[in-house]
Amino acid sequence: MKPTRRRFASAALAGLAPKSGPRIEGGFVFESAGQGLDQGHRLRDHARFASPARREKTEVVIVGGGVAGLSAAWRLDKRGFRDFVVLEAEQQAGGNARSGENEISPYPWAAHYLPVPDVRQTLTRELCAELGLLDGHTWNEIHLCHSPQERLYLHGRWQEGIEPAIGLTKTDAEQFQRFEQLIQELRQTGAFRIPMEEGLQKSTQEIQGLDRMTLGDWLQRQGLYSPYLRWYLDYATRDDYGTHYDQISAWAGLHYFASREPEDKGPLTWPEGNGWIFKRLLRKLGRFVRTGSMAFHIRRENGRWAVFTEQCAYEARCVVFAAPTWLASWIVDPAPPRWPIASAPWITANLTLHRWPDNKGLEYAWDNVIYNSTSLGYVIATHQSLKTYQPQTVWTWYMALADGNAADQRRLLLGGDYAYWQERILADLERAHPDIRQCVRRIDIFRIGHAMPRPAPGAIFHPERLRRARHDGTLVYANCDLSSLSLFEEAQYRGVTAAEHVLKLVSRAGA
Amino acid sequence: MAVVLFLSVFLIAACGLIYELIAGTLASYLLGDSVLQFSTVIGSYLFAMGVGSWLSRFIGRALVARFITIELLVGLLGGFSSTALFLAFAYTQAFRFLLYALVIAIGTLVGLEIPLLMRILRERFQFKELVANVLTFDYLGALGASLLFPLLLVPKLGLVRGAILFGLINAAVALWSTWLFREHLPAPLLQRGACAVVVAVLGVGLGFGDVITDTADSALYADEVIFARTTPYQRLVVTKWKQDYRLYLNSHLQFSSRDEYRYHEPLVHPGLASVAGARHALVLGGGDGLAVREMLKYPGLASITLVDLDPEMTRQFSTHPLLTALNGGSLRNPKVHVVNADAFPWLEQNDGLYDFIVVDFPDPNNYSLGKLYTTAFYRLLRRHLAEHGVAVVQSTSPMFARQSFWCINETMKQAGFRTYPYHVYVPSFGEWGYVLGANVDWQPPARLPSGLRFLTPQNVAELFRFPPDLAPVPVEPNRLSDQTLVRYYDREWREIVR
Repeated sequence: MKPTRRRFASAALAGLAPKSGPRIEGGFVFESAGQGLDQGHRLRDHARFASPARREKTEVVIVGGGVAGLSAAWRLDKRGFRDFVVLEAEQQAGGNARSGENEISPYPWAAHYLPVPDVRQTLTRELCAELGLLDGHTWNEIHLCHSPQERLYLHGRWQEGIEPAIGLTKTDAEQFQRFEQLIQELRQTGAFRIPMEEGLQKSTQEIQGLDRMTLGDWLQRQGLYSPYLRWYLDYATRDDYGTHYDQISAWAGLHYFASREPEDKGPLTWPEGNGWIFKRLLRKLGRFVRTGSMAFHIRRENGRWAVFTEQCAYEARCVVFAAPTWLASWIVDPAPPRWPIASAPWITANLTLHRWPDNKGLEYAWDNVIYNSTSLGYVIATHQSLKTYQPQTVWTWYMALADGNAADQRRLLLGGDYAYWQERILADLERAHPDIRQCVRRIDIFRIGHAMPRPAPGAIFHPERLRRARHDGTLVYANCDLSSLSLFEEAQYRGVTAAEHVLKLVSRAGA
Repeated sequence: MAVVLFLSVFLIAACGLIYELIAGTLASYLLGDSVLQFSTVIGSYLFAMGVGSWLSRFIGRALVARFITIELLVGLLGGFSSTALFLAFAYTQAFRFLLYALVIAIGTLVGLEIPLLMRILRERFQFKELVANVLTFDYLGALGASLLFPLLLVPKLGLVRGAILFGLINAAVALWSTWLFREHLPAPLLQRGACAVVVAVLGVGLGFGDVITDTADSALYADEVIFARTTPYQRLVVTKWKQDYRLYLNSHLQFSSRDEYRYHEPLVHPGLASVAGARHALVLGGGDGLAVREMLKYPGLASITLVDLDPEMTRQFSTHPLLTALNGGSLRNPKVHVVNADAFPWLEQNDGLYDFIVVDFPDPNNYSLGKLYTTAFYRLLRRHLAEHGVAVVQSTSPMFARQSFWCINETMKQAGFRTYPYHVYVPSFGEWGYVLGANVDWQPPARLPSGLRFLTPQNVAELFRFPPDLAPVPVEPNRLSDQTLVRYYDREWREIVR
């Protein structure tokens, strides 16, 4: 081909363009054959699974080795009951508390903190005391989030805290205050609690009505239209429910704010996020966990439950289904009714930085958020390090695919190849850090098809949710999606209460 | 022949543009507001070129000789322009004046070049060919220079040596013109001699470019810089004025040799002299070895462990003749073990127990350093302190940062120490504070080692009294999860430092 003048000119100019930075390594994680997406799709497509060669008898099978499953195991073990197994489909247990580690720091793959539990949250405090986080009434400050905690990139500079403060009009500020008052009133009703089940009895008709509208509708009714307030609430709902405030049940959206006292310290956090707690649970309970064991079929056989994995068929008196509840429709025979709550696709990425981007104004915080970005910003894994000199770092970048319906967003998630997602991540960070491309050496990306429940209006008081949240019979559900809240405390509560229910059954049978 | 002629045009055009860019860049670097600086520099430069072109009409005879003189002048002025500007910025108040004087002078001379050259070449070419070629090579030279400047010149050579290099090119064009146009030169040897002198002067400048930059750098410190090193952790600078040596870390004064004993004697002796039979001591920070020098006055001490982050710092203070003269070679004493590590993780990973601990960190001016002043850090510190041991923490100024000082005291208390705050006047620092922490009731020592210049058993007790303007103020302790100290410190020093 003869070079045209334009081609020549553009080639010459390309050489003058600013350096795009060194090559960045990385890829998708948890996506090799037999893992994650691949496994789930085999279930969905009704693929043939190998029949297990072994059979094993055990009293209890816990399906799912995330926080809910391990919390069930934690309670069984603590009560002296050891005749159980935990089946984990992935090669690495942990669910949303999974974490990784490189030569610079451990880092989280999903959940990265635990709000400091108040005195009413006895279960979570029990675990914290066991792990040395809580001594009497004193929290170990090494594990509380170090200063500075949060900052927001707004109007071209960083401000302290995530609640927008720069450029607000008087009306904006008043609307924030008014919102805070309304939350205070809801908090006082006692209907918004963690665990959420404990507040539901106190729900008046009016509070139940909140589940019939979106948070957007509720804001409209309250006359709250400040764009800053709406951005702030949207950030919160994307963060906790993986979708926008005008898609989410107002009950759920308000629960986020009304369930906790405004805290002045905390949260509890670690370089590897909730992986820190999980590793310690696993140290104690690892011997019960069978990884790479996906339960693909569960049915009644001779008055007991038969739980099939490709390695082994377990015969059990009870099953604690701690995997995502919607999966049950593909596994349990006969299939339970369709689970009414959609789940949100997410993408998280761990960026390895060989140097820090230039930073003006406020110092780097633990959680760094960019206003009006589609992402949720990034958390710095090395923030909790006790070193004063930290030339390299790892950042965990988060984004919920929050637009439109979840299935479409999942197609988008899987449709983009590695180069596409890498570019999205860098372009997002570049808004606040123009030299980010020169600093990043590696980006590992985790695509999570079903990261957390997305409670649309009606989800909270849906009869099917209420039915499955009740422990009844010998197969009980325990995932945190039963609460429609993707929270450590909810997962722990569901796991522990399921374990207590099962303990009653087995002791009755044993007696 | 023609190619060589037009190459000269190319080169002088490139040089002209380089000087303009250098002036603009330097003005932006040193004065800020790059839009204003570049606009005014380019504007006055172009205007001066117009003046030069207009002035060319007054040159009637000896065109080649004049051209060569102008080239040499441009070479000298342009070549040393950045040097002159750097030095002017460091030493005088006349930077702006010199900047525009230079821009106008160089611009005028450069404005003369092309009209003169065109008149010289007039007889060799047709007019339309001449105009076309001269202007073509003029603009090509400008393009070449504008690409070369940011991509090669600034990153590889720097502004000082880059300018001199282009000065040499001007001089080379002049020298070369003495051959190209020798038929117009009645006495070419004279011009060649002048060229040789200019080349020699510029050549010397090129060789000493680094010295010039360092000189300008040192002028930013008031005194002579005798030692400067940038490590991955910090910039170390030692200055000398008469017999006063000063150490700066990241431009923060660490000590002045004239009065550092007034800082280091109180840092060490009230604590160490009070611990009967002290065997093992620990210094966190203090890589200058001055605290260790004081500690070596106790023959009973069997070991001193010094933990400092920066290996270059402890290496220089162990080996550099001037610096070891200051600390008496303390870091090379066989009792002293130097560890280069980050203090907080080091304390976590080691389990030594010490009778005396000195904590001598930089002031808590950011959240990373602030971690070393938290309840969590002091709790960890207590686990390394023997039952009857004593720890002393340098605690910034109770005068300039009163809340910060009392915050450190409060934080140590929260961590379980019994605290005994004290202060001393160090002329080069001002009023300075320390907090002594112990596990049990503590009494100031009755005896001190001999040979101290400032402390006596009598005046030690006085250090612990605070006048009303330094008295305690209510403060919140500094925790990892809520670093109050960094905020106090930032606010208090901002009120004082300009």
